[in-house]
Amino acid sequence: MSTTLFLLGVVEIMLAQNTLEELQEKAIQGAVQRVSPTLVQIETTGGTEVISAGGGAGGAGKRRPGPAAGPGVRKGSGPTTGVIVSADGYVISSAFNFANKPTSIIVSTMDNKRYIAKVVSTDQSRMVTLLKIDATNLPIPEALPTSKMEVGQTVIALGRTLGGSPGAPPSVSMGIVSALGRIWGRAIQTDAKISPVNYGGPLIDLQGNVLGILVPASPEAEGETAGFEWYDSGIGFAIPLDHIYGKLAKLKLGKDIRKGLLGITMQNKDMYADEVVINSVAPNSAAFKAGLKVADKIIAIDSKKVESHAQLMHQLGPKYEGDMVSLTIVRGKDEIKLEKIELSGSLESPPLGFFGILPMRDDPTKGVQVRYVFPESGAAKAGIKVGDRILKAGVGPDITKVTATAEVANRDALSTLLSTAVIGSFLAVEVKREDGTTTTLKGPIGQATSFLPEKPPEKSSLANLEKEPEKKPEIGTIKKQSAAGDRNYWVSVPVSYDPRTSYGLMVWLHPAGKGKDKDLDDLLGIWDQYCAEYKIIMVAPRSDAELGWTPGESDLILESIRHATENYNIDRKRVVIHGMGTGGQMAFYLAFQQRELIRAVAAVGASLGATPKERIANQPLSFFLAVGDKDPIRETVLDTAKKLLGFQYPLILREMKDMGHQYFNSVTLDTLATWIDLLDRI
Amino acid sequence: MTFLLQASLFAALAVSYQAGEMSLNDVVQKVNPKMVKIYGSGGFKGLPAYGTGVLVSPNGYVLTVANHLMETTDLRVHLYDGTRLPAKLIAMEPELDIALLKIGTDKSKIDDLPFYDIVAAAKTPLATPGTSILAFSNQFQIASRDEPVSVMKGTIAAYARLFGRIGIFEAPYSGNVYVVDAITNNPGAAGGIITNRMGDIIGIIGKELRNEQTNTWINYAVPINAELEIKLADGSAKKISITNLIEKKEAYKPVTKASKSTGGGGYLGIVYVPNVVDRTPPYIEYVEPGSPAQKAGLLPDDLIVYVDGLPVVSVNSLLELMQKYRPQERIQLEIRRGDKLQTISVQVESPPRALPNKGAETKGN
Repeated sequence: MSTTLFLLGVVEIMLAQNTLEELQEKAIQGAVQRVSPTLVQIETTGGTEVISAGGGAGGAGKRRPGPAAGPGVRKGSGPTTGVIVSADGYVISSAFNFANKPTSIIVSTMDNKRYIAKVVSTDQSRMVTLLKIDATNLPIPEALPTSKMEVGQTVIALGRTLGGSPGAPPSVSMGIVSALGRIWGRAIQTDAKISPVNYGGPLIDLQGNVLGILVPASPEAEGETAGFEWYDSGIGFAIPLDHIYGKLAKLKLGKDIRKGLLGITMQNKDMYADEVVINSVAPNSAAFKAGLKVADKIIAIDSKKVESHAQLMHQLGPKYEGDMVSLTIVRGKDEIKLEKIELSGSLESPPLGFFGILPMRDDPTKGVQVRYVFPESGAAKAGIKVGDRILKAGVGPDITKVTATAEVANRDALSTLLSTAVIGSFLAVEVKREDGTTTTLKGPIGQATSFLPEKPPEKSSLANLEKEPEKKPEIGTIKKQSAAGDRNYWVSVPVSYDPRTSYGLMVWLHPAGKGKDKDLDDLLGIWDQYCAEYKIIMVAPRSDAELGWTPGESDLILESIRHATENYNIDRKRVVIHGMGTGGQMAFYLAFQQRELIRAVAAVGASLGATPKERIANQPLSFFLAVGDKDPIRETVLDTAKKLLGFQYPLILREMKDMGHQYFNSVTLDTLATWIDLLDRI
Repeated sequence: MTFLLQASLFAALAVSYQAGEMSLNDVVQKVNPKMVKIYGSGGFKGLPAYGTGVLVSPNGYVLTVANHLMETTDLRVHLYDGTRLPAKLIAMEPELDIALLKIGTDKSKIDDLPFYDIVAAAKTPLATPGTSILAFSNQFQIASRDEPVSVMKGTIAAYARLFGRIGIFEAPYSGNVYVVDAITNNPGAAGGIITNRMGDIIGIIGKELRNEQTNTWINYAVPINAELEIKLADGSAKKISITNLIEKKEAYKPVTKASKSTGGGGYLGIVYVPNVVDRTPPYIEYVEPGSPAQKAGLLPDDLIVYVDGLPVVSVNSLLELMQKYRPQERIQLEIRRGDKLQTISVQVESPPRALPNKGAETKGN
């Protein structure tokens, strides 16, 4: 009797178990079916290859064999996902899916109908993009209100990359809501596997309501591709759909909406340090207009207490341009409340100060000897002449009061003084002239212009050439192997190399598929003459990836740079990274990653993969962009130039007449060589 | 009353959850003895020298993936109980990415091993997205000898065509796969299996691949009922399947696939815009007079977006796609003309003797 009962019990339990699993499978399939009609498949044609912020584990922290092991970020070419948000043809998707600026976008609905889509606008704070197709009566999903989301609730991430036709069931990834209010109050976090397979797709609950739109995201960076390196890692993000519905009317107007910015930096670099003290206020920013000042201590925002920069970020993170905030600050002993501060969408960074001279290099004597004076510069106005030696200098806002009081040890000291000077202020210098007289000259501090003068005087070095160098390093073209032994790079040193004079360093990053010995040989051949004349050493590492450079290959590039700086006399002010196509994109990427090392980028037919980073005082970065006027990516290169100029980087753009996606013509080559020679301008 | 009902429901759920664990354990106990650990060549270029396999007969035939492990005369297998046996390669089918091994020597008598009946398993219907699965493999060589292999729980994410790459090489298997919503495809996992929640085999875990569409690592398994029709070098077609290989064993002959260019490529008579960047959009620059493209009504500035339903990303991908066609085949081109999409049917022809030269950088077909 008891045995029978027991057996019955077991059967019952087994049934219950199977039923439960079955119920879950049914629930998933039911929820997916309910949302599926609102999903679209997005296919794009053309556009650029995208290289962007790498780092991190490269997907689920796996160690990987093979040449493509780096944490490379290159967008795939497969279809992506979107969600219909308005019956009259509006579709929302992840901005990641359009990071490569495609030529043509096609949206396919579940009934296999294809539509040409146009980008309407992008929410640059949440990194979602609104598309419009010419269709009506489309189904839209139900948004789960943010207030009803719970950490721990079961969710499903859906995507339309896999499975071929847009009518096929979407791909599913199961998970739970891991946290709410992530990425400074903007995103839902989930442990479902989020990747390009479902970026732009919905995160849904078991009833088929949409919690959010899946995007890559990172708390440390902004931009379309930020956070991609966390794909499939158990940390994925979605932008709440109810928030997107709330912003839809604004997005439909066709103008990008931007994150709201105050325009301040903090004194303490530690985001969690327990004081929020202002270090700088950007000119004309929201903070500037509200009258915030350096050393003010912020204690509350919108009446919420803040004790750390991170807490302030949590309150500011969700806000948009034009939103109002109130701040409570402590200035000296006073507590001041500042009401109705309107956040701005962009910041002005002050341009780099420029006086207008080229110094002589390898100068063993105290002071700075002038090699060249830029026409119409502050230095020219002050009356500085070639051959003058600057011994003392001083900066001040008033030309009548400024005095040259500080000793100038060398050119680095003078350039440091200029890097923090405000444009429009004045520099006074005490110079010793060639005839032995000493005089004080004053001139305005201007902005480094894109003006390229005629060739500066060839004599550029004051190195003492009497003593013979102890040993001469290798010269000519040398093929080197990386320390790990599996990669190689070329080094090209002019035969006339003399270790007593400093040389510029140019790193060549070849375009995809142009890394063969012959290709590198050809390129070094083109530069041979220039390298000898302008005293430049070249290194050319070789990418292993068929499709071109990946950020994971940074180590090889850095190793080749290190080899040059350790074995040759390299002028740190003239380290240029030069690349074409994906090599050019890699050059941009590396320049922003290695600020203390790289002074300039010369890119041909290449565009930025991500939003540029702010300028850093004392780590100047100059750009030389060239593009053929027939190059299909001309527009994106021009856009790159605009973005960099927005950050006040010194930049030169050359459009090459009657050229497609090609390397320089000789005029541009001459210009670039001269530009490199001018990189140590002050 | 309502409260009581809820309470009892809750209790039932709690019981069934416990039962769930118990039952999952039962399933695992049932599957594990059929799994084997394989050791072969590797250890270079970061490739593991270990892998996973599954028994498919009582006398020691083992199904696994076709990979570098087999490139040795010293192939060894560890059974579930820790028995170590030599193994030899019996047959391989690169197109399905699978291999069949036989364990033991001629002298050793093996006839009572637990195994999966693959022929029977291949008759079950395909699993749909959202189905719960279990994955068994010796990923990262976490187990050896009598230690059981690793078990993971997941769901079927999708049933989809595999667009995979290993480094710069295209993955050999090009059919549909189960994409798995779990990180299953780790080093050494290839040759492991995925099962449904009852422990019935439904797929063989594949090698580590990057998905070409997304440029991310992909987790997938080749369905146990995979059947492919392969175009052979002589122009005929042949159906191949896992069942077929297991039934034929030593007698199985791998197929020789027609090389890519055998299609010869269909001539359209289109000159595209100069193909100079990585993703040049396939805009038509020029249509040859009298060509198939002209007869079909294609015009300069048309942008080709689909060929027979397959999306075209760039001039390169279009030229690659066109390679598989033969003269006289009819293809459907979907084009974007201004702001309109149009479908145009074209019959491709053999290329004329001398292709007009439109400059070194302009490729046409």
